[in-house]
Amino acid sequence: MSNLLVPRSDVGEFRRRYRWMALVAALAFLGVLIRLFQLQIVKGHSYAQIAHENIIRRVTTQTTRGVIRDAQSRVLASSRPGYNVYLVPGRVMPSARPVRRGVSLDDRDTFPRIAEALRLNPDERTRITETIRNACVTDEDRSPCWRPIRVREDLSRDIVAELKQHPQETAGAEIIQLPVRYYPFKNLGAHMLGYVAEIDGETLKRYRPEGWEDLLPEERQKVNPMGYEPGDILGATGIERAWESYLRGQRGWEKRVVDARGRYRSGPDEERLLDQPTRQDPIPGRDLRLTVDMDLMQAIEKAMRQHEAGAVVVVDVRTGRLLALYSKPDYDENDLAGGGGRERISDTFSALYKNDDRPLLDKTMSGAFQPGSTFKPFSALAGLEAHLIDPEETERCDGIRFEYKRVFHCTHVHGKVNMRGAIAQSCNLYFFTLAESVGMDRIARVASEFGLGQKTGLGINPESAGRIPTRAWYALRNKGQFVKGFTFNMSIGQGATTVTPLQLALAYAALANGGTVYMPEVVRAVETSDGAVVQDFPPRVRQKAKIQPENLSRVADALAAVVNDEKGTAYPVRDAALEVAGKTGTAQTGYVATAKDDPKRAWYFERDHAWFAAFAPIKSPEIAVIVLVEHGGSGPTQAAPVAMQIVKDYQRIQREQKAPPTAKKPGATP
Amino acid sequence: MMRGLSRRDARLFGRAREHFDWALFLCACVLAVIGVINLYSATSVSKAALSEVYIQQVYWLVLGGILATVVAAIDYRHFERLGYVLYGLGIILLLLVFVLGKDIRGSSRWIYIGSFSFQPSEFMKLFLVIALAKYLHDDPKSEGRKLVDLLIPTVIAAVPMVLILKQPDLGTALILGLIFATICLLTKIQWRSVVTLIVSAGIALPLAWSYVLKDYQKKRITDFLNPDANILGSGWHAHHARIAIGAGGVVGEGFMRGTQNQYLFLPDQHSDFPFAVYAEDWGFIGCVLLVLLYAFLVLWSLRIAATAKDRFGAVLAVGVGALMFWHAFFNLGMVTGILPVVGVTLPLFSAGGSSVLTIMIGIGLLMNVSMRRFYQSG
Repeated sequence: MSNLLVPRSDVGEFRRRYRWMALVAALAFLGVLIRLFQLQIVKGHSYAQIAHENIIRRVTTQTTRGVIRDAQSRVLASSRPGYNVYLVPGRVMPSARPVRRGVSLDDRDTFPRIAEALRLNPDERTRITETIRNACVTDEDRSPCWRPIRVREDLSRDIVAELKQHPQETAGAEIIQLPVRYYPFKNLGAHMLGYVAEIDGETLKRYRPEGWEDLLPEERQKVNPMGYEPGDILGATGIERAWESYLRGQRGWEKRVVDARGRYRSGPDEERLLDQPTRQDPIPGRDLRLTVDMDLMQAIEKAMRQHEAGAVVVVDVRTGRLLALYSKPDYDENDLAGGGGRERISDTFSALYKNDDRPLLDKTMSGAFQPGSTFKPFSALAGLEAHLIDPEETERCDGIRFEYKRVFHCTHVHGKVNMRGAIAQSCNLYFFTLAESVGMDRIARVASEFGLGQKTGLGINPESAGRIPTRAWYALRNKGQFVKGFTFNMSIGQGATTVTPLQLALAYAALANGGTVYMPEVVRAVETSDGAVVQDFPPRVRQKAKIQPENLSRVADALAAVVNDEKGTAYPVRDAALEVAGKTGTAQTGYVATAKDDPKRAWYFERDHAWFAAFAPIKSPEIAVIVLVEHGGSGPTQAAPVAMQIVKDYQRIQREQKAPPTAKKPGATP
Repeated sequence: MMRGLSRRDARLFGRAREHFDWALFLCACVLAVIGVINLYSATSVSKAALSEVYIQQVYWLVLGGILATVVAAIDYRHFERLGYVLYGLGIILLLLVFVLGKDIRGSSRWIYIGSFSFQPSEFMKLFLVIALAKYLHDDPKSEGRKLVDLLIPTVIAAVPMVLILKQPDLGTALILGLIFATICLLTKIQWRSVVTLIVSAGIALPLAWSYVLKDYQKKRITDFLNPDANILGSGWHAHHARIAIGAGGVVGEGFMRGTQNQYLFLPDQHSDFPFAVYAEDWGFIGCVLLVLLYAFLVLWSLRIAATAKDRFGAVLAVGVGALMFWHAFFNLGMVTGILPVVGVTLPLFSAGGSSVLTIMIGIGLLMNVSMRRFYQSG
């Protein structure tokens, strides 16, 4: 008890230490203050900058690709919503993340539930689990752990609904709505319209060469003006590719506040943190209005139904505007545009490559074919222009001619024919005689006047130039040996002579309109998304054929005789109600079957191409129609009926469109 | 005995107003209030998960205040008498951790009793201070101490340190060691002994590095030595704490407006890194105020020690002061990046019951010593 009352101990031992301890403590706290001064005042601005960058992310806002419409405003290509599902690895499988202080591991794995909803098969499940585990090796800010990975494309709506219905159980699954290009007319006009595809590595490298990330924004803009990014969709063929710069539009961006987990925040606090400018609105892509009429395209598809392969071109002879570009066989562009996922694309392509009718080739302009007898009007014009033939003078056709040990056949024994009769009945022998006196180069010059053997410059698909041979061309190719047979063959559109259906269409349009060769036109106007015309393309004349008008009308008259003269080759298939002038053609393909060929198919490929080149009406022509039936066998019987049907349908469509709309809504009329 | 006690205590309470250490009381109150406000800001973003933290902190502070009052009211010489008993109690609790402890993030530090849990290692700091004070109180020396004289205090400190390292909890063991070292420095030690100590420490450190430290503990030290090497990995805490502090600038971004905290870039913002939140919200000016408060608390406890009437009181005040100092200095140093990241709490700022109670009881002990400095001896 007394112990408590009396302090027994001597505190002298400690006396000298307090000051030292106080000094050390004060210095330590001073050190902390100096460090704080350094962090907050000396380096404060740069840390503030880093802090700002940590929470602000620039998010690109998508633009919408322009809509393509036909001449009657029917939608040919537009975008529909597609749903892709992405998984954030760190959120769907928190158990894969490393254990670290301060991170609560209460979150359960949602991946099994998501996998079930997405109906993933066991293989996919293991593969994706592997990917997630690899991504979550670290789970720091901006690590792959928080970067969404794509697991499914173009989900069906019921799966999307299922995921959205259970947000808690499927946390970490993000459904991204991305536009998918949609072609309502499916395969009709596929070659002309083209399709879109994800940007490939090579193209991307062109826009984003190595070191692109280090370039200044202005330099980036120069190298990559359209702002292509990995995974972008761009036009791969046809109008989609050629008019990409109009259709694409420009992406915008907006600044968003994000937290360390990459989640977006919004609210007044967040708006305060954004620095100006906070956003740039996207510019939507331009819409295109085509010259093509899908009613006519549908009529053509119907008319070509019985034929396996071929091409049809319909052009307005007064403007050069293309009313139809049809190539057969075709394919459903929706299968290639990415809507159904990658597998569907590769399946479709492998099927298309196997098809020996070359469905991927746009035969209207990418394929060159021997024109056969459809070339004869140009040979005739060459003779008339050179004043070397008298159109009324007759030649005798015995059906066969021997020249230099070779035999040249005619289609029939025509007897005595003048120029009109020779064209109407398609007499080869008349043209051999003509060619003998006119010569190859004069014929070639006239053909070139009409644009044959040259690219038309439409530019929507790779264009073949075709070939109009000259003596010089033969000299180069055959080392000086030139035989009259070359000229004979050339005068009837055989041998080395090739044209594209598009060239022939423009040439026949020129025959019909008095010699004006137009630039072909498929896009009539560029419009904004609300329908205002941005740019209108008037008809452009490419060249004026230097041909005497009376010679032109003489040939046009002969073409009318092909259909309307009793002896004309197309007379049997004419429609008395239609005024059509044209020329049949049956072109040898030069195909020689080999042992490698399927014998069941070889007979087909050995068959001649069937042509019919026409314009209508005869008095004041409006359209030129070229029909090519590949391996059709005979122009008059296979191609001509198709062309007749097309002209008939054209006139029906014209009547329907001109007629006032029938009162579909009776109550609406006043 | 009871009559004597009550008579003296009645005298003491009679003079309570004039003996009361208002400076200590106010300093502790201001720190606690700022600490709670800061916890509110630090946890405001985490909504459901941590919304209870600041309220719980208030409960702990109230409980701590009651305990501190009780501790301050009992004459500290009773603690002197029970010194070794309390120490033994602490050791038993530490041993219990291995039996009852639950593994959290790779280490077991907690004892669960129902829904209530506490960390015996926190209270051990105070028990160690009391035990060491008791030993030095009973062992007065006028000439310099030799190493042999320090053998028993070393054992007293080493037993709990080893037990805590086993948990493993490097931060707490380190604090125990530093408190022990501080108390040793208070005594008069022969120069020869000091040199021997330094040399043996030089040998022990590499051995400790190889055999005692866990991989994650080594990683923290290497990260500290090379802070930018592993920003995304284990250097994350220090890196983002520095950004947050720097972003605070001179006047701060404002209460609950610190972006790095609000957008989750600060980990452990309520346990080990609340100062980063405070620095971002209140800037350099706020930081100076806070650092001055801690400095005052430490220096004031030294003053209390210097005016203590006996050896036990003096060592007790220095020990509690050392506890405050090393906690504050290590935490501030770790958060500002001048010391490696070891899990050391910031007194009255970090959330956590055991930590708050320890600090509050420590303040009660200081108050106790401070109020009894006016005793007339004899």
